[in-house]
Amino acid sequence: MSLLAVEGLRGGYVAADEIVRGASLSVEEGEIVSLIGPNGAGKSTLLKLVAGLLRPSGGRVVLQDRQIAGLPATAIGRLGLSFVPQERNVFAAMTVRENLEMGAYLEPAQARTRIEALFARFPMLADKRRALARTLSGGQRQILAMAMALMTSPRLLLLDEPSAGLSPKAAEELFATIVALNRDGVAILMVEQNALEALTISVRAYVLVVGQVAREGPAAALMADPSVRDLFLGG
Amino acid sequence: MTGWANYLVFIVATGGFYALLALSLNLIWGGAGMVNLGLAGFFALGAYASALLTVNAGAPILAGIAGALVVGAIGGYVVTMSTTRLRGDYLAIVTLGFAETIRLVANNEIWLTRGSDGISGIPGPLKAELGGWFNAAYALGTLAIVALVWFALRRIDLSPYGRALRAVREDEQVAQVAGKRILRFKIEAFAISAAIAALAGALYGHFNSYVAPDIFQPLITIYIFLAVAAGGVGRVSGAVAGAYLVIFFLESTRFAAAAIPGLAPVQHAAIREMLIGLALIVVLRWRPQGILPERIPPAPRPQSQEAT
Amino acid sequence: MDAILQAAVNGLVAGAILALPAIGFTAMFAVLRFPNFAVAAFATLGAYGGWMANAWLGWPVVAALLAAFVLAGAAGAVTQRVALDALRPAGPLTVAIAAIAANVILENVLRFAFGNDLLGFDLPLARDVRFGSLRIGPQQIENLILAVAVMAALFAFLAFTRIGKAMRATADNPDLARLKGIEPRRVELLAVFVGAGLCGAGGMLLGLDTSIDPLTGFRIVLSVFAAAVVGGLGSIPGAVAGALLIGLAEELATLAIAPTYKSAIGFVAILLTLSLRPRGLLGERAY
Repeated sequence: MSLLAVEGLRGGYVAADEIVRGASLSVEEGEIVSLIGPNGAGKSTLLKLVAGLLRPSGGRVVLQDRQIAGLPATAIGRLGLSFVPQERNVFAAMTVRENLEMGAYLEPAQARTRIEALFARFPMLADKRRALARTLSGGQRQILAMAMALMTSPRLLLLDEPSAGLSPKAAEELFATIVALNRDGVAILMVEQNALEALTISVRAYVLVVGQVAREGPAAALMADPSVRDLFLGG
Repeated sequence: MTGWANYLVFIVATGGFYALLALSLNLIWGGAGMVNLGLAGFFALGAYASALLTVNAGAPILAGIAGALVVGAIGGYVVTMSTTRLRGDYLAIVTLGFAETIRLVANNEIWLTRGSDGISGIPGPLKAELGGWFNAAYALGTLAIVALVWFALRRIDLSPYGRALRAVREDEQVAQVAGKRILRFKIEAFAISAAIAALAGALYGHFNSYVAPDIFQPLITIYIFLAVAAGGVGRVSGAVAGAYLVIFFLESTRFAAAAIPGLAPVQHAAIREMLIGLALIVVLRWRPQGILPERIPPAPRPQSQEAT
Repeated sequence: MDAILQAAVNGLVAGAILALPAIGFTAMFAVLRFPNFAVAAFATLGAYGGWMANAWLGWPVVAALLAAFVLAGAAGAVTQRVALDALRPAGPLTVAIAAIAANVILENVLRFAFGNDLLGFDLPLARDVRFGSLRIGPQQIENLILAVAVMAALFAFLAFTRIGKAMRATADNPDLARLKGIEPRRVELLAVFVGAGLCGAGGMLLGLDTSIDPLTGFRIVLSVFAAAVVGGLGSIPGAVAGALLIGLAEELATLAIAPTYKSAIGFVAILLTLSLRPRGLLGERAY
């Protein structure tokens, strides 16, 4: 059985305007799965529908046996799914440590040990624990945002364009971090503009076009597919 | 004239001044989504401008009123100049401060304004000729001016200029993309609005022949917000109807509060002011469309847009 | 020279007291995103609350200050829930207008109960302390200490408690705060309680060495707005800096202009700030 199973998901920012129009996908335990597609295909919207930031107008979202479509984001968060927004994903005027504390706002008892574990995992964050988040570089900020999401010990991490706005070098480091996290046992579903990089580290991928899954398969196969290459991978 | 007839004339005239203030507020609040929390200040500015021009400088009344219009417009320009690019909150704060500062100046520049004593002996037009009929004639004249301003504002409302203003109100972000022209629209609209409020002040002064700082209480601003909200924000005719409705409400609270036995005068006054504040909250809450709702339904506005 | 030094000392004390309502105003703005113009009434309410505790119940100043905080804070929270919350979908300006109406109501509740007479706190008389040619009233010193203590308590609350951090998080990034499970309505209500409470504490300190009447808060409201705008609307450290600056500027200005014009300084400071640097000393964007 899948860790996450999405079936016929529909929805958008307003009820009258569905951006995601019956998309189905799944994520297995321990996988990295990418969601790629042209601009405006509804990739980020799909993540927000799954994470509970937007309310689906139809379809099913099943996380480990539980139907979660329509639950609020915080309830979904407690069931082991963490969403990392693309922008404004840290508390800029708070310190790194405070950001991590807010990451586990609903589970304050575990906060201390988890912060220590994350500091061990990301020494950069430990070095900057007293720095305000707004002083971090783009890549560091992205790592902090992921670390905040990890504060609830999720089984599945949803990443919305994690490499957006990063330099090629910072993006490369970030992808390495994502791979390392995945080795620790966290499954990852990510939306990426940087499709080639994303496919390189993914097991499987879905191509979303106009709110529906147009292609799916092993990442390597999609990368080799000429039509996909033409569309997203710059030939 | 009998006491009741005099009272009625007084009500009609005061309602006329409030109607002008309501038209002034409606132009910017209903028109461009800006607020002027210092309406009483512009009211005072006009009253003092015309009073000083006619009493101190001996100018004719029409020149005094024209002067009030100019001073009011300049005041409006000064207040909006620094805030039009900013969120509406800032304009609100600045206008509040403006009204207080006007009151300070009126109270303290004794050489000019005679301080808290106020300026008396402000001439009224044709006062000698009209004799006992002056108040009634003036009230009618005020109504005629209200009608004139109303007509002019309706013309603006239906013109491309009015549509542009509404665009500013409905979607500030889209309007902002349109850039400098919109900024100019907002400043112009505010200056016109401030001039109308100053006109109301000038007319007030020539009617009562006396102005003093204490007349221009911040509470007047509340009355006018109540008038415009009750009349339906954005409705020119609603603003005028709302002004008279407010006068009616104010007078009823006067009688109602006085009817409660065993209270000191200060307690009567307190009850009236509480009722006025309560009325504004109630109107804002349950009648956002007012008694005569705007015919053009406002576009749905997402909350996030308001928050930024 | 002595006059300048004396004015500077007076200005610092006045600024420290002004900082309390300024923080209250800016904190409420930071979390709820509308200017709560009822701060004048909250300050006055605090002054009367403290006065009742002191003059009727005989409470000492510190306990009375706590009463001032709680009474004003409760009034703020009730106003928010009963009158303002329902208007928020109509936009921040509508809520701000309703807050002015709420201000009128609260002020007149006090006028109804206490009349327009001046009331004084029941305090032992004490002689001014002299440092060379400087004169400082013991009440001024006590006010300064109390204001600083209240600010220290607030900063500790915001820096070290879980709910205090949640408040900062909500002000900083409301969407992310909600995603992390911070309940916005609870945080908002707490922010209003604390913000209005600070106004109340400031109002009582204002009345301690003079007297109180229903317009106690109204008289300083322009300075409060000025402090918040100069410091940057929404920034708490900014409000402190702004309040000290405005307090100093107002007292120093009395050396050159009539003391009655003190509050015009605030208006000029607002205009200057918005023209030159709208986000203030420490604030975020103002567009």
